[in-house]
Amino acid sequence: MASNFDRRRINGPEESFVPVYDDDEGTQLDRWTAGEPRPGRSSGDIRPIFLQPGLINQANGSAYIETERTKIACAVYGPRQSKNTSYSEKGRLNVEVKFAPFSCKRRRAPMRDAEDRSVAVAIHQAIVSSVRLELLPKSTIDVFLTIIENDGIEGCIAAGSIAASTALADAGIDMIGLVVSCSGALAGKELWLDPTREETEVSKGSLILSCMPALGTVTSVWQNGQMKTQEVLDCMDLCQERCIDIHSVVAQALLDNAKAQ
Amino acid sequence: MTAPTSPPESEAIKASIFQRLHPQVYLERFISENVRPDGRAFDAWRDISVNVGSISTADGSALVRLGDTTIVCGVKAEIADPELDRPEAGFLVPNLDLPAICSPKFKPGPPTEEAQVLSDRLNDALTASGIISPASLVIHPGKAVWVLYVDATCINYDGNAFDATLIAMVAALKNTRLPKTTFDEDSGRTTCSRQDKQPLKIAREPLSMSFGLFDSAHILSDPTSFEEPLMDTTISVIMDERGHLISVSQLGLLGESGPVDTLQHCITAAQTRREKLKAQPPFVA
Repeated sequence: MASNFDRRRINGPEESFVPVYDDDEGTQLDRWTAGEPRPGRSSGDIRPIFLQPGLINQANGSAYIETERTKIACAVYGPRQSKNTSYSEKGRLNVEVKFAPFSCKRRRAPMRDAEDRSVAVAIHQAIVSSVRLELLPKSTIDVFLTIIENDGIEGCIAAGSIAASTALADAGIDMIGLVVSCSGALAGKELWLDPTREETEVSKGSLILSCMPALGTVTSVWQNGQMKTQEVLDCMDLCQERCIDIHSVVAQALLDNAKAQ
Repeated sequence: MTAPTSPPESEAIKASIFQRLHPQVYLERFISENVRPDGRAFDAWRDISVNVGSISTADGSALVRLGDTTIVCGVKAEIADPELDRPEAGFLVPNLDLPAICSPKFKPGPPTEEAQVLSDRLNDALTASGIISPASLVIHPGKAVWVLYVDATCINYDGNAFDATLIAMVAALKNTRLPKTTFDEDSGRTTCSRQDKQPLKIAREPLSMSFGLFDSAHILSDPTSFEEPLMDTTISVIMDERGHLISVSQLGLLGESGPVDTLQHCITAAQTRREKLKAQPPFVA
């Protein structure tokens, strides 16, 4: 293990370890075996979404999203002048994701690791085709996300994409449609929508679908693990159906926020 | 050609352009009218709201809003070997992150100078107050101790992050529960019990109150992000829950009114503020 010493931060001891427990946490999924129904909620249910645009007043646009144990803050800065990049006809969309050190089961030392990059790429992929970058030559739009609490990477990408699209709308940036996103996991023979971290761990494969329900177009699909083609297609249908509901949540949140101002 | 705007709207645009181009003069005009740009009196503080325990992945957490400044703080407890020369001392590791999300001033990347200075001052404040005695974090002398990583992240930066972060860190530490541990002398392993969790022993609760000195004459309490860079001097007074001083720091010059007078004024103002906050949880004495 490389030395953790960083003179730009307050340092603790050289090495430290996560506490070892003699009793297990005891989640509902410990006793679950393949073939049984999903514990806690029905297979097509998603967790309730709390979405609040405009909390970060320093930013041009922002959104905070919470789906039970997934909590993400997102801010949009720009469009502002691109720095030291050559002339470009189209604007640049820059997505950066940061995990708070306390956001995961294990403490994340504040060094850059690979996971935040892959989450950023997935969110970028989901929203980039909705933004009218051709209207913004020589400009950059910065989308910053801070993950305050993480309950499964699928949920983070889905909620992060929703928050990013909401924040872009709050910033008044031209888009062809709102992007919403939903995830699903294959557990046994069932498809569980919006899985938690524990649910993804027991599943065979997972899928994240991002789309613009107003236009009926899909912007990004990410599939992981073992799933049959038919299962993937079924999962995409289920996610897309659920995205229509999520879209109305986002639209309502933006409307309420606009009325309040 | 821009569309003609209605008179009040164009006045507002003119004012905001003036604010950006001549911040110093903009603030001076407000000060000469005995009011601050956000409508506060010189000695008025912004509202504080504290929400604890909402992050399940942390052992203790707090979300603090001081006006629009928002800080989230989480405590993660881990186990480490103590230092050889201090076998009976645990670790308290506070850090503040000012990420690019919280203000257009900050760029993504390693901690800015401001974040480094603030983290260092927070470490000093927590150490000076002796909020937790290092001895209370010992699991087995010389073998195993607790490390408390107190990480704060700024979500919205609207000035006076130091006061807000110290409130968040203290509230998160008060919210922290550590599991009961058993140390096996033969294997050198520590095991914890999920059932039996105990709060930390908090010895003193530091609270910081910061002031900015404008034009060597006007003392503004709890400056915003607009006012902060225009201040000649920043004064922070840290007190515990009984109103005893823990630390007084002054960064910058003190003006004509005489250093003793200005400091005296700030300490008295901080005492009044401390008394008033006792009515509000979680500051209850």
